[in-house]
Amino acid sequence: MQESLLDIVCCPLDKSDLELEAIRRDDDEVLEGRLVCTECSEEYPIEDGIPNLLPPDMREA
Amino acid sequence: MGDLADQRGMETAVYQPAEDSKLLADVAVESVDDSDRVLDVGTGSGYVAGRIASETAASVVASDVNPHACRQARDNAREEAISLDVVRGDCTRPFDAETFDAVTFNPPYLPRDEAAERDDWMERALTGGETGRAVIESFLDDVARVLTPEGVVFLLVSTLTDIEAVAGYAAERNLAAETAREESFPFERLAILEITKKH
Repeated sequence: MQESLLDIVCCPLDKSDLELEAIRRDDDEVLEGRLVCTECSEEYPIEDGIPNLLPPDMREA
Repeated sequence: MGDLADQRGMETAVYQPAEDSKLLADVAVESVDDSDRVLDVGTGSGYVAGRIASETAASVVASDVNPHACRQARDNAREEAISLDVVRGDCTRPFDAETFDAVTFNPPYLPRDEAAERDDWMERALTGGETGRAVIESFLDDVARVLTPEGVVFLLVSTLTDIEAVAGYAAERNLAAETAREESFPFERLAILEITKKH
């Protein structure tokens, strides 16, 4: 994901802002890391450049 | 993805573009302005999002609940050097309010057929519960929140889904639905509903 995506995504549970914790990047995007809700602290993983913003109870599959 | 077995696996996991995807992409490409921000919900292979991103200057985000679809949409965009952000999420729920000038959605719309039930990702890409409208209704419950005041939704619907019932559900949520385009196929008529906030 490109960092600019942060401007338009939110926590699916409480719609609060998300904070980026990047673990691995290439020239133009974040490949691995997590997005953390600034309100409820729920963590959403970023894997292979794709943030998983499903609520925790829908994440299983 | 050189292995043939893997390739077959992908085709049973991700809906591939068909007449309905093309109809939706055609209408969206004609309607979207270059300065728009667009969300393609249920992007599948990323076909509709990719067409909008490559044929207009709009900035496009694609989302899907299916992880295989998210990966395929991202891979296809990168192969074609299309700039596209892909997010795994439930319809419009992980996006900020008043963000998108246009939202496109080619939803699962077939009524459930117990005899053909498979309980896999392809089934979820095709069927929308008993009425065929379960996912469409869940989408309509939240989409107004992410639309800009003048924003527009392009929703593909089929006569198999009961187009009037979809328009009625939208109206209950203070959304106005009009048919932007229709096309007839052997077993169904497809329509693109243009849905806006009532002012």
